[in-house]
Amino acid sequence: MDIEIKNLKKYFGTKMILDIEELKFKKNIITGIIGPNGAGKSTLINILAGLDKEYQGSITYNKEKFNDSMYLDITLVFQKPYLLNRKVYEDVAYPLKIRKLKKSVVKEKTNEILKELGIYHLRDQKSTQLSGGEAQKVSLARAVIIEPELILLDEPTSSIDEDSISTLERVLKEYNKEYNTTIIIITHDIEQAYRLCDEIIFLKNGRVEDKDGLF
Amino acid sequence: MDYILQGLKEGILLLFKLDKELYRIIFLSVAVSSTATALSSFLAIPIGVYLGIKRFRLKGLFSRILYTFMSIPSVVVGLLVAISLSRRGPLGSLQLLYTPTAMIIAQTILVFPLALGLVYNLSKNRGKEIEKIGLTLGARRFDVIILIVRELKIYLFINVITVFSRAISEVGAVMIVGGNIKGHTRVITTSIAMFNSMGSYSRAIALGLVLLLISFLINSIIYSYNKED
Repeated sequence: MDIEIKNLKKYFGTKMILDIEELKFKKNIITGIIGPNGAGKSTLINILAGLDKEYQGSITYNKEKFNDSMYLDITLVFQKPYLLNRKVYEDVAYPLKIRKLKKSVVKEKTNEILKELGIYHLRDQKSTQLSGGEAQKVSLARAVIIEPELILLDEPTSSIDEDSISTLERVLKEYNKEYNTTIIIITHDIEQAYRLCDEIIFLKNGRVEDKDGLF
Repeated sequence: MDYILQGLKEGILLLFKLDKELYRIIFLSVAVSSTATALSSFLAIPIGVYLGIKRFRLKGLFSRILYTFMSIPSVVVGLLVAISLSRRGPLGSLQLLYTPTAMIIAQTILVFPLALGLVYNLSKNRGKEIEKIGLTLGARRFDVIILIVRELKIYLFINVITVFSRAISEVGAVMIVGGNIKGHTRVITTSIAMFNSMGSYSRAIALGLVLLLISFLINSIIYSYNKED
């Protein structure tokens, strides 16, 4: 999914949070967004996910403006995973169920993704019983199960263990290659950005300070 | 002091004797208040969840008005319903005044703002996060409301119980629209008021104990759910 931003301005009250003249996210690649706290990274990713529509400027997705049907193709993994109050299997299967897929397809796909992320053994556990790393894997499984065109991630690995980080990175790379999924990830870990991303954007004070130059 | 103790003793005895009139009163109270709670919650839950997550102009003003109506005096509601249902009123032809149906209508109107306010407040504080998750997983507006209701079901249940406790303990509305007719519209609260004025303290105390017991059960349910959460 190609994303083009033009003259994006976002204010909280009178405080300017984002001021981006022009920015393009190329499709089928992994783009990292780095920058200090308060740079506007999370605000930008919320806007891209269609969760915040109060901004000035224009954003197009494959040349189209955001519309509600795009929620079906765009997903966002939050820094602090919010898991649904049900068993892991039910949580991961939820996006498929609301898309009214056949039961057999839901079962097959859910089991497949749970195995891929190494959390099949947790399928009957309640989400409240999981560790941080396990919860984030469930959150990622739930996001990628719909094979979205665009995956947005807001510091998904900031508070999880090394093993979980490498699993998440592996799955993201696989999805990017296998399904040509466009991925945009906010990270504080510059090493991770180098490991994972094809492009890196440096955001500071709501402005794009550098693009690609970091490589 | 003696007559209070005597009343208490007789009251407990009446309950154990399974006094017919007493149990008819208790049954009607629970039936009227349960129906009113069910009706108001059935309407308030989807509307409250929707309004809680929806951004609209004058939301602040709406909140203040709603919170004001949450504590509307029961006699005011009773009076308005009685006027509407009286023979010369706009709904007089239905001939509902002094019937249990009129009591259910009055209590439903009385507790609806409370039910709506509690759900609205819950959804305003907790629903946004769930809405975000729902949207990022591809949920449509209707799916989001269902998701919020499912995720907050324990809190919503506690709200429903709170609404029921308001309904069963009010006296003004049911007294005005029901008329406290023996064997027909007499409920716990109106009976306590009547038995007290008649000096029949044992019956008043017996019913008071039942109300306390109901209140204890309600609080036990709320406590156990809070603990579970």
